[in-house]
Amino acid sequence: MPETPLLELRNISKQYGHVQALTGVDFMIGRNEVVGLLGDNGAGKSTLVRIMSGIERSDSGSIWRDGREVKIRSRKDSERLGIETIYQDSALVGSASIMRNFFAGREVTKAFGILDTKHMNDVVMDVLLNAVRISGINAPDILVEELSGGQRQAVAIARAVYFKTAMLVLDEPTSALSVRETDKLLSHLTELKRDGVSAVFITHNLYHAYESCDRFTILSHGKVIQTVAKADTTLRELNEIIVRH
Amino acid sequence: MTKAVLEPIVLPAAGKSRFSWRRIRREPITNIFILFVVLQAICIIGALAFPADFRYLTPTNVGLLFRAIPMLGIISLGVGMLMITGEFDLSVGSVYTLAGYSIALLYGAGMPVWVALLGTMVIGAAIGAANGIITVRAGIPSFIATMGSMLVVRGLVRWLSEGRSVTFHPDETFTDLVTGSFAGIEAPFLWFVLLTIIVAVIVHRTKLGNHMYLVGGNEKTALAVGINTRLVKIIAFSFSGLGASIAGIISTTRVSTVTPAQGVGLELKAVAICVIGGLFLSGGRGTVLGIFLGACLMYLVEDVLLLLRAPGFYLDVFVGAILVIAVVVNTWLTKKSSR
Repeated sequence: MPETPLLELRNISKQYGHVQALTGVDFMIGRNEVVGLLGDNGAGKSTLVRIMSGIERSDSGSIWRDGREVKIRSRKDSERLGIETIYQDSALVGSASIMRNFFAGREVTKAFGILDTKHMNDVVMDVLLNAVRISGINAPDILVEELSGGQRQAVAIARAVYFKTAMLVLDEPTSALSVRETDKLLSHLTELKRDGVSAVFITHNLYHAYESCDRFTILSHGKVIQTVAKADTTLRELNEIIVRH
Repeated sequence: MTKAVLEPIVLPAAGKSRFSWRRIRREPITNIFILFVVLQAICIIGALAFPADFRYLTPTNVGLLFRAIPMLGIISLGVGMLMITGEFDLSVGSVYTLAGYSIALLYGAGMPVWVALLGTMVIGAAIGAANGIITVRAGIPSFIATMGSMLVVRGLVRWLSEGRSVTFHPDETFTDLVTGSFAGIEAPFLWFVLLTIIVAVIVHRTKLGNHMYLVGGNEKTALAVGINTRLVKIIAFSFSGLGASIAGIISTTRVSTVTPAQGVGLELKAVAICVIGGLFLSGGRGTVLGIFLGACLMYLVEDVLLLLRAPGFYLDVFVGAILVIAVVVNTWLTKKSSR
């Protein structure tokens, strides 16, 4: 008997006007698992991510967390379920500081909604220097736009780690990164998995996916074409499946 | 907390302390502050050297400045809050005039002045909220939505006033509190300072303020982290309307009358003050101190030109030049610091 999945989406459908974005999609993420969500442009990957992270609601189908049916109606709901989505181009606000990004939407406040800036600064420094070991930051008020692509991803991941995320959803995380930064990101994923954080890795880049994922779900035209474990496939086979559809 | 041992990523060194000079120099607020201090110093030295010709430090002139700055300054505080969220409000000039009529007519109809005051502030905030709701619900540019309400509210003023000015003579307690003076400083300026502090606390120190910056900085991201971006914008629009109505109330109380044509063009001046103060049209940046200094600077330039008896068009030339230079410098500084 296989263990209960961390998150399971069953029979998910979504329509935008006349466009059927998803049709009866089944998708699941296990514990300590990195799942690659693959497919060409317009396959429905982003729609699925938006449903998981509460930005969109599916027209039909159900979502299960640890074997219990749940509703994800908002970003807050998905946050409560331990799902953290990191978008390729919009994980952080460039014109705001690291601290303000780190606590965006989860600010620690004192009375009357006044920010507890000191506490938040301390937490950010502690997490960046100790828990995620990003050395070199000596001020939590550095603006995010001053960081490189990889450093931004690292900050977004540090945030997920601090807020006890059970599952990271990474939407095209490597598309804006250099080779070296991509390498680091992939090793971050492996480390996080070891610490009990699962991940969904949405990407065009099969090489990156193949390197870091345990299982692959391939979407095409809003339908699941195949779900296959890494052990049962090769990079070449994956490529063929995507190209064929 | 999950401990993840990840490979170290070296971030750019930002100087030894959190407050390094290198970083402070790159902030737009530093430049406006330096410009303000330098101009003040020149004016004061000029006034001391030529007391007969350049009457900058005379009580009349100082009083004039303290009375003139708050009107547009208070409007700019509201407009600035909204600009931080990445939106505009072109209706503030009309709301400013409507507020004058509102308080004068409500008081004239027999309402206690404090009720008329509160009612007028509510009307201002409500017009702002309506602008916000139309903008976010219909998904149209606020430039267009508020241009519409600028005309509608201006039309409402004409209809209410029938083209006539209305007088406003409330009791002395109210007049003293709004437009009197305290320790030699004009009350409107003290109100401006107080409102600047309140707005600064809201914008820089509260959760709402943080959300305003995040929404203006990148709306998609703000939405993704669970911020109700529409609500944040509607609140900011309300503050803009509220600011314009407070300015209208102070102005009407000060001159005891309100005319239908006043307040025209204030909306663009308010945007100019905010931009000079280091705010960006694209949102997500800037400080409340910048807005305060921007307002002071605008009137400082106007005042100096008047004292030097320069022809009126010089003012537009100077303000226009400062505006463009401010935007060029601030954009350059931001580009320089980002990667």
